[in-house]
Amino acid sequence: MKTKRIKIILAAFSLLILLSACSNDRESLAIAEQYGLAYAPVTIMKEKGILAERLEGVQIEWKQMANTAAIREAMVAGDLDIGFMAIPPFLIGSDKGMQWKILSGLSEVPVALVSLDDGIRQLSDFGESDRIALPQPGSIQHMLLSMAAEKELGDAGYFDDRIVTMTHPDGMHALLSKADIAGHFTSPPYLFMELENQEAHVVLTGKEAMGERFTFVVGVSMDEFSKENPLWEAAFKEALEEAVFFMVENPDEAAAILSEAYGIEEEKIYQYITREDIVYTQETAGMEKFHDFMESRGYIDNLGEMGNLTRGEGS
Amino acid sequence: MKGLKALAVALLLLAFWQAGAYSGLLDPMIFPSPSDVAESLAKDLAVGDLPVQIMFSMELIGKGLLISGMLAIITGYACIKMDGFRKIVETVVTLIHPLPGVALLPLVILWVGTGKAAIIIIIVHGAFWPLMQNVLSGIGSIPYIYFKVGDNYGLSTREQIFHISIPASAPFIIAGFKIAWARAWRALISAEMIFGAAGLAGGIGWAIYKSRVFMDIAGIVAGLLLIMLIGIIVEKFVFGFIEKRTVEKWGMTR
Repeated sequence: MKTKRIKIILAAFSLLILLSACSNDRESLAIAEQYGLAYAPVTIMKEKGILAERLEGVQIEWKQMANTAAIREAMVAGDLDIGFMAIPPFLIGSDKGMQWKILSGLSEVPVALVSLDDGIRQLSDFGESDRIALPQPGSIQHMLLSMAAEKELGDAGYFDDRIVTMTHPDGMHALLSKADIAGHFTSPPYLFMELENQEAHVVLTGKEAMGERFTFVVGVSMDEFSKENPLWEAAFKEALEEAVFFMVENPDEAAAILSEAYGIEEEKIYQYITREDIVYTQETAGMEKFHDFMESRGYIDNLGEMGNLTRGEGS
Repeated sequence: MKGLKALAVALLLLAFWQAGAYSGLLDPMIFPSPSDVAESLAKDLAVGDLPVQIMFSMELIGKGLLISGMLAIITGYACIKMDGFRKIVETVVTLIHPLPGVALLPLVILWVGTGKAAIIIIIVHGAFWPLMQNVLSGIGSIPYIYFKVGDNYGLSTREQIFHISIPASAPFIIAGFKIAWARAWRALISAEMIFGAAGLAGGIGWAIYKSRVFMDIAGIVAGLLLIMLIGIIVEKFVFGFIEKRTVEKWGMTR
């Protein structure tokens, strides 16, 4: 009786170990992005088959995920090879020991804290019960808000108790319905859509908070994938470059493709992607500043000096 | 003796778990070791927001259960009084009970925002229907002859309810509260994980969510363990106490 019970326990544990050791033997390349204009080159790459052309015979899986945490978890589980996210969630993952590196920058876009309340013109105008919606704690929006709070109000954690987590579309609806939230920290196209409302105004921009330009989205690849499939990774990088080039050279065509993918009018998309403050580039900017701020706030503590977080630089 | 055996099994599991983590077979990113979890729990309790978060969660659950309980008493009373009303309530329970609270969340946010009120509504939705269903089954399970006996003694309706209906259906009502308690937790945690802190530091669901976004896997497990721990304590002391004073005293269960 007793040995039987122990056997069952042992069996359960070996199953757990098996599950956790499950290696990733996919014959396909899995890529995840999120939703928004900042990811436009990825959409172009997918819709125009730019990557598929270079990787004939390789099955490419494109996934659109609702938030960074989900992408990160899928990458830990070995379900994804390449994921797109902002720099702060990437740093948190690296800090916690994820074996991954930044493969490429993707875009710089304007981000801002928007309010419809006429009385709220700067951060100090938010009252005790005024709540601010943003995608999640630890997100780039949260870090920018904290940076600005530190600068303007002397306390980086000033708004931490008044954050509501909402996806960008939910946050936009909540803001515009004036039901519940006083501010929404968001990015394009939601930012532009919100600002079309007559009462909407920007309380804080990402640039003001950061004090310098920064990359909004970076592409990150797992070390194991990079080691095992260097050719796929190189092809991906080239394809991304081509997609960015295509968007710069043919904004008309790009707008048509994106319009279909996002369900937004072509004309509007054209206006958006040709704005001067939206830049698609493979450069990465702002790593240092995010790293230093997050370290000073204790969000990361194991990374030490930066370096070796970007692929191709001594890795 | 039985408790000891259970403890031994639990310790054995923990030992295996720790050994697995120690040997490197379990990836700490996927399965944090028990010592990591214990450390995380101790740290959050000592210097973190966790004590405040526990109180916050308990407060919301307490309020939600209180409202559900009062609603159930009033509805149950009306059901005993009016058979037609009872049929209606039964239909409503069947219709609404299966709806997940999270599915109602978008509507609730529109109605009352994302504050405490929204979470309490979701808790009441989670707790009230199973409670009501148990109350109805309890009432339905009382042998008709009990009421006949009551009639013979010349009991008034009020006396019938307090001396026959409630005691006779007490095991069902207590079971209903146990289910309601568990459902209230599920509702609370899901609501908090979806829209974040409703109060100052939020509750345990928010703590788990924050652990998730900051990739503190040990923190997630610690949060889950904490919920179980609170469950055991409440089961043992609150429900145990009530059962001893009621159904056990009356000789209905052992």
